[in-house]
Amino acid sequence: MESLKLIRTLISANNKFISEWKRLKRPVLGYTCSYTPEEIISAGEILPIRILGSLEPPKLADVHVSTNVCSFAKSCFNNALKGEYSSLDGYVFSHSCDNQKKIYDLWRRYTTIPKAYFINTPHSTNENSRRFFRDELEKFREWLMKSFKVEISEENLRSTIRTFNENRRLLRQVYDLRKGNPPLVLGSEALEIVLSSMMTPKEEHNKLLQVLLEEIDTREDVPKEGVRLLVSGSIMDNSELLRLIESVGGSVVADDLCTGSRYFWDLVNEEEEPMTAITERYLHKIPSSFMYSSEERFRHTREMAKLFDVEGVLIFSLKFCDVHSFDAPLLAEELREEDGLPVLCLEWDHSLSGTAQLRTRIEAFIEMLEEQI
Amino acid sequence: MSERRLATLKGFYQNYVKPSYEMAHKAREEGKLVAWVASTFPVEILHAMDIIPVWPENYASLCATRKVSVPLCESAERKGFSKDLCSYARCVLGSLFDGENLPEGGIPKPDILVASTCACDTHMKWFQVASRIFKKPLFLLDVPYNVDSASPEQLEDRYVQHYVCQLEDLVSRLEKYSKMKLVDSKLRKTLTLSNKTSELWLKVQEYRKSVPTPMGAREAFSAVYFMLCVPGTEQAVGFYEELCAELEQRVKQGVGIIEDEKYRLVWDNLPLWFDLQFFQYLETLKAVVVAETFSHVWAGGLNPSKPYESLARKHLSNMANCTIERRIELIAALVKDFRANGVILPTNWGCRMMTIGETMVKEKIQEMTDVSSLILDVDSTDWRNYDEFKVKTKLETYLRTLNSLFKIGETRRSAL
Ligand code: SF4
Ligand code: SF4
Repeated sequence: MESLKLIRTLISANNKFISEWKRLKRPVLGYTCSYTPEEIISAGEILPIRILGSLEPPKLADVHVSTNVCSFAKSCFNNALKGEYSSLDGYVFSHSCDNQKKIYDLWRRYTTIPKAYFINTPHSTNENSRRFFRDELEKFREWLMKSFKVEISEENLRSTIRTFNENRRLLRQVYDLRKGNPPLVLGSEALEIVLSSMMTPKEEHNKLLQVLLEEIDTREDVPKEGVRLLVSGSIMDNSELLRLIESVGGSVVADDLCTGSRYFWDLVNEEEEPMTAITERYLHKIPSSFMYSSEERFRHTREMAKLFDVEGVLIFSLKFCDVHSFDAPLLAEELREEDGLPVLCLEWDHSLSGTAQLRTRIEAFIEMLEEQI
Repeated sequence: MSERRLATLKGFYQNYVKPSYEMAHKAREEGKLVAWVASTFPVEILHAMDIIPVWPENYASLCATRKVSVPLCESAERKGFSKDLCSYARCVLGSLFDGENLPEGGIPKPDILVASTCACDTHMKWFQVASRIFKKPLFLLDVPYNVDSASPEQLEDRYVQHYVCQLEDLVSRLEKYSKMKLVDSKLRKTLTLSNKTSELWLKVQEYRKSVPTPMGAREAFSAVYFMLCVPGTEQAVGFYEELCAELEQRVKQGVGIIEDEKYRLVWDNLPLWFDLQFFQYLETLKAVVVAETFSHVWAGGLNPSKPYESLARKHLSNMANCTIERRIELIAALVKDFRANGVILPTNWGCRMMTIGETMVKEKIQEMTDVSSLILDVDSTDWRNYDEFKVKTKLETYLRTLNSLFKIGETRRSAL
């Protein structure tokens, strides 16, 4: 499928849309967390792109950061040191986890990207947090306007919100393609589709998704049936791990990932005043593990498991991601006890070292499920 | 050398720490409210409400000094908690799963749990797990990160306001839950005592600036207990007054805590709780720790007439809630003020806060003070990866490099 091929090429900070954007001398801003309100950035004709890591060993970052640090955050830092993000005009961090907030200091000291900003995202969703976050986003909007000499009007915000919501609806439709048996797109493909959305102007991405949804009906290489699995974790910015699962008979039909369903599941209310609606959306979206409390996220994971009719769950804890590692045993227990779902908890390293062991364990889990079914 | 030990600190554990656990166990039996508290939560609120605070972090360090922390960590790991998580959290959670022959009869069970997001993610997540286990509510203070490292006076109003509003909400929820009232006059009194505690603790640090220093890290990591766990109490004030008196005497007589003081070190982060002998070993190398960052982050002036606001200002600007630059400034200031000629930067395996940026700290400290630092990759509570021989060799090599620097230090000192 042509659209899928194209999508795969977009997961890069130097894809053709970004180059074109730069050619028109418009600013590009990198962001590190799915709590970054991209709509505000985009409404100022600034392209928000997600900062991602890579599979190579983070040699440059190793000089500044020791082993016991989130390997994703470290890999992103490594990419920045390598110059992968030299085309950025700035970057935005968010108050997400300890790893990110400390590595922000290192970005400021050791990378050469000109502008840096930090959004103080709350960790709870009460009325005080809402008020604080609203102010915080207003301040962010002002910073964008001043730093990039752009205008972010209410009107622009409204139309950007519509475009973003459209993207979210289309992504949901893509996810729906996995409800049947066999699913019409692979889990690894779905992940790539979501990742590409973060690296592409949304108007363009919407067009791509429309083509993809048309093409899919005539797809020839329909994925094989396999054990239906949900994958839960913090972040997965590369489809290799899902491919590995697919290679041993698993069919990843649903996820609970920052770079998966949690990225697009919730819409922004188009009727409300835009800044308020954006605040609400990001505060109340399906939470990441750094938010209090985890109950909401567990509820989402369990709902996804039902909606996509999964037969087993893989919980991936990225090494040194504390927030997720504390949740993993609780979520596993809930899924097992409340939903009777088999769960496998795994730890993994972002560079995918030690995959042989992972493969063996996943294979055994899938075999066990196949016997049960 | 033993006569050099401070009399005030003799039997510290038996006299102060142990009874506090007995008291908490007993209070619970008597139906008083017991709260689990994470550090950087404004504990004065609880003192003023007669809620008994219990500090899981303290309990973990206690388990480590008794050499039982590792089996407890392992028991948490068997329940699926990663080996890479903070060892404090693993140790305490482990004690809930596998609780035989625990020190002090185990950590007293909570009726409520209180934490803030000020220091680390671990506090929030760990307490959330415990709250599910005990089926007791967690009251969380969601503290914005002080990304500009603003001082208490420079903080943006909206930060302070946000903290204050939350604290007010939290107090009213606590009142409802506990059916106890927070009486203003009592809070003011607690804050006054907390201030006094803080002042005295800083005075203790002043004495430690003397050459030779009258007190090292072994003593400080015990004595900080009052500053950290029970600052708003008469007992804390009484203890530090006694300690100050003894230190004053020592300074007057020119008696140092070690006989031949050659290396004056600043210690960042936590000690190796499972091997506090480490500081004695340092002494055999003529090295003494004159200041710990840990001893300097808890103090801070509170204004009893503006209780919530001053608690907000104090905690928002706590080093743990600021950027690495802030930590660098503090260490550099300690090096200068305490005339140190070495800095030890121990990391903590499960603690991102204390690990990320150590090389940047080292680099900047060298730039700012001309003093080199030593990074030690260790863990405060879990000794499984502790290679004693390697760490000590590294340390001895490091101290030898300080020799020449020390001479520079001497001229600097004689000029003072
Ligand atoms: S994966 Fe976890 S630790 Fe890493 S940046 Fe995301 S939330 Fe933080
Ligand atoms: S050691 Fe670090 S992670 Fe653990 S409780 Fe303390 S600050 Fe948090």
